[in-house]
Amino acid sequence: MATPIIDASHIIKDYGRVRALHGVSLEVGAGEFVALVGPSGCGKTTLLKILAGFEETSEGRLEIEGKDMRGVPAASRPTRMVFQKLALFPHKTVAQNIGFPLKLQRVGKAEIDRRVVSMLELMHLNLDYLDRFPAQLSGGEQQRVALARALISQPGVLLLDEPMSALDAKLKKSLQTELKKLHRELGTSFVLVTHDLEEAMMLADRICVMRAGRVVQIGTPTDIYYRPANMFVAGFIGETNFLPVDVSGALDGGLAVGSPLVAGEPAVMEAGNVSEFLGEGNKALLIRPESIGFLKGEPGPGHWMLTGVVDEYFLKGSTTQYRIRVAGLEAPVVMDLPGSFELPAEVGQEVRIGFEPARAFLLSE
Amino acid sequence: MKSQSKTWNDPILVAAVAPLAIVMLVFFLIPLAMTILLTFQTTQYYRLQWTWDLKIWTEIFSKPHYWTIMLRTVGMALVCVVISILIAFPTAYALTTRLKTYSAQIQILIIFAFLTDAVLKTFGWILVLDRQGVANWLLSYLGLGPEAMDILFTPTGTMIGMVYNLAVYPMFTIYLSLARIDRDLVLASYDAGASRIRTFFEVTLPLSRPGLYSGAVLVFVLSLGAFLEPKVLGGGTSPLASELIRQSFETRVNWPLGAALTIVLIAIGALTLALAAAFVFRRTPAARRELA
Repeated sequence: MATPIIDASHIIKDYGRVRALHGVSLEVGAGEFVALVGPSGCGKTTLLKILAGFEETSEGRLEIEGKDMRGVPAASRPTRMVFQKLALFPHKTVAQNIGFPLKLQRVGKAEIDRRVVSMLELMHLNLDYLDRFPAQLSGGEQQRVALARALISQPGVLLLDEPMSALDAKLKKSLQTELKKLHRELGTSFVLVTHDLEEAMMLADRICVMRAGRVVQIGTPTDIYYRPANMFVAGFIGETNFLPVDVSGALDGGLAVGSPLVAGEPAVMEAGNVSEFLGEGNKALLIRPESIGFLKGEPGPGHWMLTGVVDEYFLKGSTTQYRIRVAGLEAPVVMDLPGSFELPAEVGQEVRIGFEPARAFLLSE
Repeated sequence: MKSQSKTWNDPILVAAVAPLAIVMLVFFLIPLAMTILLTFQTTQYYRLQWTWDLKIWTEIFSKPHYWTIMLRTVGMALVCVVISILIAFPTAYALTTRLKTYSAQIQILIIFAFLTDAVLKTFGWILVLDRQGVANWLLSYLGLGPEAMDILFTPTGTMIGMVYNLAVYPMFTIYLSLARIDRDLVLASYDAGASRIRTFFEVTLPLSRPGLYSGAVLVFVLSLGAFLEPKVLGGGTSPLASELIRQSFETRVNWPLGAALTIVLIAIGALTLALAAAFVFRRTPAARRELA
């Protein structure tokens, strides 16, 4: 990253005696799409408000476009925000709402009109809407108006505070697609707050997972999904299988990993910090549902096998999900198989399932 | 719009509205009709004569004295509206912003003062406004007024009393409007680059209009009927419409005249409100659209 457009280091935020952020550091590159993800109360919205200038930091340094933001009010920052409840001005028309930031910059009337119209076109909004009021538009249309208002003054950074949480699934999908396209076309930096890691993975270049006022992991969606920093991150998205394992020792720079529950040779797994896994404490393999499948015949070399009973299955269309109860495991093993015309197994059937340890990820608590 | 056309065919809705409609009919429209009817009667030896005469109306339109009082009443009411709003708005604004923490306590105090009997409060003002009263003492103590001010028994005294008794109404209607404004709208305005002052005029003030207008209407209508303040604090030197009407009914026992003056007062009040409404709706397309 050459020069980050946002450089937040060791941000601490106290509300009275309650510490909302415990020294959060985050860099956002120019043109990057970063998602802040975490359960409610993790401090992601507080961090966004600090970036927007609605909250002051208690400690720490925040630079945006190379300038220290201490004492700089929201109005003077190069950031624009799309609010969770959109915050469109109910007494202003669509055109007045979108043109408001330009009006404040004393841009000429004709120029405002021209840019409002081009903004409507960019957002695929009907030009008839110009003179309507926000309440006369649908939820998705209001969303686009809010985006248009935030983007019209060509901000350096666009901040999005869960703007799609109130929409139905189908509309959400189409707006997510548009948001991603928009980001690609405009080259503006986007910072999206969401509690939906799936949404973050779809949209963001990098994801910052937060928990209880701290950053747990920052990484690409692939990192977060397949190489989570810990079980919290791993368990935060979708469904995950954890298989308790024993680490018997270091071997050729890797770790020898085995499990009494599986049939198969102990596998050699790489780990960043070998010593972390050699001590006491529970270790587990993280196996994503799509990395497991039914086994026909004996497991091949390098495969691990488990036996269990089909507990339930769900047809999801493009995939079929099986839940397999395995003796010795508390939660049933979840597998996502590609959808097919025939069901591979019935409920109650005894099955063998297998996976490659190479596609699993070793975690310690 | 669809639901409106169906209204009359919905028996439950009609039944729900019926009690209020009947109350309004019996206690508002019928007395109003009777008052109008009364204006066409005459009196003889303090007795009502059932006739059909325009005598009262010719009298009213020929005597400028009545109209002076009527116009003075409307003028006082308009001034009272302006002063009340100017006092009420900053108070309500402070209660929703700076004083938010104590807003409940302050509101309770205001309500206590508001619920105290108006007669008592108005007489209390005499102690303040009197030549030897608190106000003059304070002014001379502060060295501001070497000569005692004569406020009591002047229209200024009346106005102080009216504003004091009526400013509470717009204060609460404006407070309710302001409290309903989503804080995010203010933040959105800052975020778009607006200063605090600009945000106030672009967002806060326009969104507080419902409370502003309803408060203004309340003050206006109530000041048209102001009776106590001109009598107690104005000293009867420049009577307002209510005093004139009272005299017509009680002192002169000329009921048709009193009724006619009442109708004139109602008509002037309604006309003023209609003009104000037309002005407001012409200026704000949003309000007009919401009503359409």
